[in-house]
Amino acid sequence: MTQVGFFIDVTKCIGCKTCVISCKDKNDLEVGRNFRRVYSFETGEFPNPRLAHLSISCNHCDKPKCMENCPTTAIYKRKEDGVVLIDHDKCVGCKYCEWNCPYEAPQYSEELGRMTKCDTCIDLRENGEEPVCVTSCPMRAIEFGPIDELRKKHGTNSDIWGLPSSTITKPNLVIKK
Amino acid sequence: MNDWSLLIFTIAIQAAIGSIWMLWMFQFKHKKKTDQEIFQLFKVPLIVIAALSIIGLGASFSHLGTPSNAFNTIRNIGSSWMSREILVTGMFIGIVVVACAWALYRQRISPWLLFGAGLIGLVDVYCMAAIYTNSLVGPWNSIYTFMSFYGTTFILGSVLAGALLTPVLYKQKKDLEAKQFLNIAFIIMLSGVALQVIGVALFPTSMQEINMIGETVETAILASYKGMIASRWIISIVGIALFGYLTISTFKKLYTRLMILTLLLFVMSEGLSRYVFYLLGS
Ligand code: SF4
Ligand code: SF4
Repeated sequence: MTQVGFFIDVTKCIGCKTCVISCKDKNDLEVGRNFRRVYSFETGEFPNPRLAHLSISCNHCDKPKCMENCPTTAIYKRKEDGVVLIDHDKCVGCKYCEWNCPYEAPQYSEELGRMTKCDTCIDLRENGEEPVCVTSCPMRAIEFGPIDELRKKHGTNSDIWGLPSSTITKPNLVIKK
Repeated sequence: MNDWSLLIFTIAIQAAIGSIWMLWMFQFKHKKKTDQEIFQLFKVPLIVIAALSIIGLGASFSHLGTPSNAFNTIRNIGSSWMSREILVTGMFIGIVVVACAWALYRQRISPWLLFGAGLIGLVDVYCMAAIYTNSLVGPWNSIYTFMSFYGTTFILGSVLAGALLTPVLYKQKKDLEAKQFLNIAFIIMLSGVALQVIGVALFPTSMQEINMIGETVETAILASYKGMIASRWIISIVGIALFGYLTISTFKKLYTRLMILTLLLFVMSEGLSRYVFYLLGS
């Protein structure tokens, strides 16, 4: 299995949220349901204040707490690339995964009565394309691919101030800060 | 606040569990009573408790987005507290309904069914609390959750059983039995309140770590619910005073109404407490 993951370059991100919008468009998400979100954190102190923007979706974690706690086993980690998916034939819509993901990745659909989330644009990837957040970012601040390669290229950090500790779920995420 | 269904579910099931224990204790203490006597006393309480459990079940279903998939929820017993809780709650409700049906059919109570339901009920309260303490929602992640849930079980269980049994005992001119039972209920209620007070004292007011992105620091949230928390305790204190008065007074005229009022006060205070609990997590 080649585990896939995301690389987020916080030094490049300008917080424009194009990734959020392109993802909403691709997945036809109504107001309030966002598979990818941009969080803005203020850090530092005068005279060196800093505003950091962090684009986050599901990190297809190695220790997915969402999956561990899902009562129906609807959440599973796909064998071939470690993508964490939700089987809608099983999901009961209890929203327990919402309380168990550090990154607010599971997003409830009132219409479906089930939980939904980022699937790394599986359909696009089957056609050899990249996830839509990656291709839409004007700053090229998001990369997607085998996590080993991303780590080789950008290091292994997956923590940043304001983000819960990566020890909780071991996200497949690399952050440049 | 969109967790009304969970609020109703947890409160109803915990009240049912507590009052099943109270009924079991009553029959244990009055072994000399005939089956028929116990049956006459327990008939209405058992129906009420079974109804309450079913209301709880209904509420829990209304929380689900796809209730038709409900059977899937016990697939992950191995690692999900939600799965475990659903299984154990199902068992509790099942036994209570069987105990009620059995009693109505055979015209006698099965102490073993009450005892079994009570034991499973206590495990159930643990599982209910574990769902929250095992989640990443900071304010739920503490021993307070356990103490609050067991506290509610003791409080509502004892007051509900008191309200269901003692008016009938008084009507049957069994004043001594009524008083004795009321005293026990009062002590159990007080221990439930004590559990909650200790729980609050142990509640971590400053959160060291953020477990979820976008989470606010809980001292700040708590401060904004001050009014609600204060009224919850004021109502509790009024409830305790009224219950205490009923245990010592010999004034019978309005007894039933005052007992129901006491029950309503405690339902309100526990409801408010649970309301704040869910607000903390949302
Ligand atoms: S980011 Fe959240 S939803 Fe995605 S795998 Fe990790 S714990 Fe699960
Ligand atoms: S909402 Fe669905 S996917 Fe999430 S925990 Fe419940 S059953 Fe599992």
